[in-house]
Amino acid sequence: MSETSLGAPFAARARGALKDAYLQEALGIATTKFIGLRRESFEDFPQGDALRDRARAIKEATLQQLDRHLERLADNIERLGGRVHWAATGDEARDIILRLCRDKGVRMAVKSKSMATEEIELNEALEHAGVKPVETDLGEYIIQLAHEKPSHIIAPAIHKTKGQVADLFSKELGGRFEADPEVLTKVARAELRQKFLEADMGITGANFAVAETGTVVLVTNEGNGRMVTSLPRIHVAVMGMEKVIPSMTDLMVFLAILARSATGQKLSSYTTLVRGPRQPGEMEGPEEFHLILMDNGRTRQIAGTLREALYCLRCGACLNVCPVYRQIGGHAYGHTYPGPIGILLTAMLKGAPSVKELAHASSLCGACKDVCPVRIDIPRMLVELREHLDTEKIAPWTERLLFGMARRMMMRPSWFRGGASVARLAQKPFARDGRLRALPLFFGKWTATRDLPAVAEKTFSEWWQELRRP
Amino acid sequence: MTTRAAFLEDIRREMAKTRGLFEASTSPRPAAPQEAAEAVRRQMLERWPQALERFREEFERVAGVFHRVPSLEAVPALIGEIARARQARRILSWSPEALGVDLGARLGGEGFVVTSAQDADPREGERGRHREEAAAAEIGVTGADWALGETGTLILVSGRGRPRSTSLLPATHVAVFGAPQLLESLEQVGIMLEALHADPSGTMSGAVINFITGPSRTADIELTLTRGVHGPKDVHAVFVEGR
Repeated sequence: MSETSLGAPFAARARGALKDAYLQEALGIATTKFIGLRRESFEDFPQGDALRDRARAIKEATLQQLDRHLERLADNIERLGGRVHWAATGDEARDIILRLCRDKGVRMAVKSKSMATEEIELNEALEHAGVKPVETDLGEYIIQLAHEKPSHIIAPAIHKTKGQVADLFSKELGGRFEADPEVLTKVARAELRQKFLEADMGITGANFAVAETGTVVLVTNEGNGRMVTSLPRIHVAVMGMEKVIPSMTDLMVFLAILARSATGQKLSSYTTLVRGPRQPGEMEGPEEFHLILMDNGRTRQIAGTLREALYCLRCGACLNVCPVYRQIGGHAYGHTYPGPIGILLTAMLKGAPSVKELAHASSLCGACKDVCPVRIDIPRMLVELREHLDTEKIAPWTERLLFGMARRMMMRPSWFRGGASVARLAQKPFARDGRLRALPLFFGKWTATRDLPAVAEKTFSEWWQELRRP
Repeated sequence: MTTRAAFLEDIRREMAKTRGLFEASTSPRPAAPQEAAEAVRRQMLERWPQALERFREEFERVAGVFHRVPSLEAVPALIGEIARARQARRILSWSPEALGVDLGARLGGEGFVVTSAQDADPREGERGRHREEAAAAEIGVTGADWALGETGTLILVSGRGRPRSTSLLPATHVAVFGAPQLLESLEQVGIMLEALHADPSGTMSGAVINFITGPSRTADIELTLTRGVHGPKDVHAVFVEGR
């Protein structure tokens, strides 16, 4: 197939992923396993559907009074001795953290898994400023040592084999380690335990923030989220401002469905509720607590076409069921957030032009909407995004020209009939047994990977007319 | 730098533009949280045996080890047994007041090194020492504020005499609780947490509440389930009768 400017970068990445035999196998195993675990966990949970409706309603209701909930959250955190920072952009969020590092003499920061900090490429900025960032989620740690990017929202290193991890650890940490997950996990535990105790700052994201109580909620399985919020003298949490929810009662609704959707667990091993810094009388915990509330393109979608994407819990369920994600994996998307929801989030954060190819990386089958714990209508928004790309003339001119012609033809019965006659003649040299298997010019892009049914000898209306003739 | 006012102003401007939103409400919260919590406690006076059965089932499903002892008196001996089985000597525990039993007094003589947290405010230099002891401890013993049947979850509120890392740093965590701590559903947990925050002067002196559902785990390498990645590899729940 020839490379053309029409979608080459994404197409090239996707082709690379399709040719990567190990990635293909790992993706198949991982996504199938996650789908099975999720399904089982909802099967013996009859109230699951009602809770998903509830969760969706809470997200919507919160958005309708977002300003008030954020004020409440900020007031409560400040009352507890924490500090709240407001970042309109990712740059600003990064600057706030860098300034804190500089002012407080931070040399090393331990991090627990956070998509928000991936979104603002915090690690690169910290390194540049002479602060050593250490990822502590095992998957993220592997990715960081390998200088790669996460390939799945909740399983960042699914594209790596245990052999590759063993080689990586042997090279980076010094030693010879067996390709056994148990051994490798133990190695990481020892290595990272030291880092937790030495670090000056702990950086986390937030799965939720409860406005009424000023509580930041972290959901983890490894316990690194607890380490990061307990041991260093400063804790900084970075979150998109849409993660706020009103009350503890609401939180329970989300907890009941989040882990089930992500990993099929009833609850993750650890759900950690943190309110501010160490309180009087406490032996442990940070002296300082900072919450960074980040906009970074979210606010303009409150009244925008991507509003519903603001409900997203980042569970990853839509990735596992997506026929496109299952084939190409997370890296091929080329942005922080992969999968169906990732296309929408990328459009939200970086603008629609950034997804002019990705908007089409979906078959609109609707599997994502079916599994979403808050029932986000991803297919509808993808269609709207495509429409926007067309009306704003962001889509490539070839695409717009072709579809424009098709549209005009569809709108005029006489043109349509004429077009069908022309197509019937033109296809003659290529049609075999009612299929078109190889076409010339850019039509060949279609037939390179699949057949096209030939235009029928008669159109439906011609056939209908004949039938009605007495 | 963006100010709070400017940030919120942006949001309000966009909110004003929204049209045709569907009607949605947040969850109804208990109007009188303390009374609602009291009602839950009354319910559980009768229902705790079912909740305990469910807790045991779910807790074991997530690889927890369940024990049942006749009284608080029996707790130190059980902890000694757990420690010996792991060839562990260093035991770290919540304060005797928070735990309900003084492990040091009972196990100190048996060759164990027991460090218990104190209920007093930490003095200068004490934090550093505590941290070293916590990092070196092999067994961490805590109470549990609630034990949730639906998911097999132990819920621990940090505070004076209840350091947050006792259930995190040692490779083995043992949590001691009784019938009054048992709850059936996440919904009940929600009511208890609403009540706790409505009156933080009660037990809530600390900044952290942890929901613990089994040992620390990961499946990040080839989806192979591995326990004890950062937190404990083993979690024990000790139910004390007649409490």
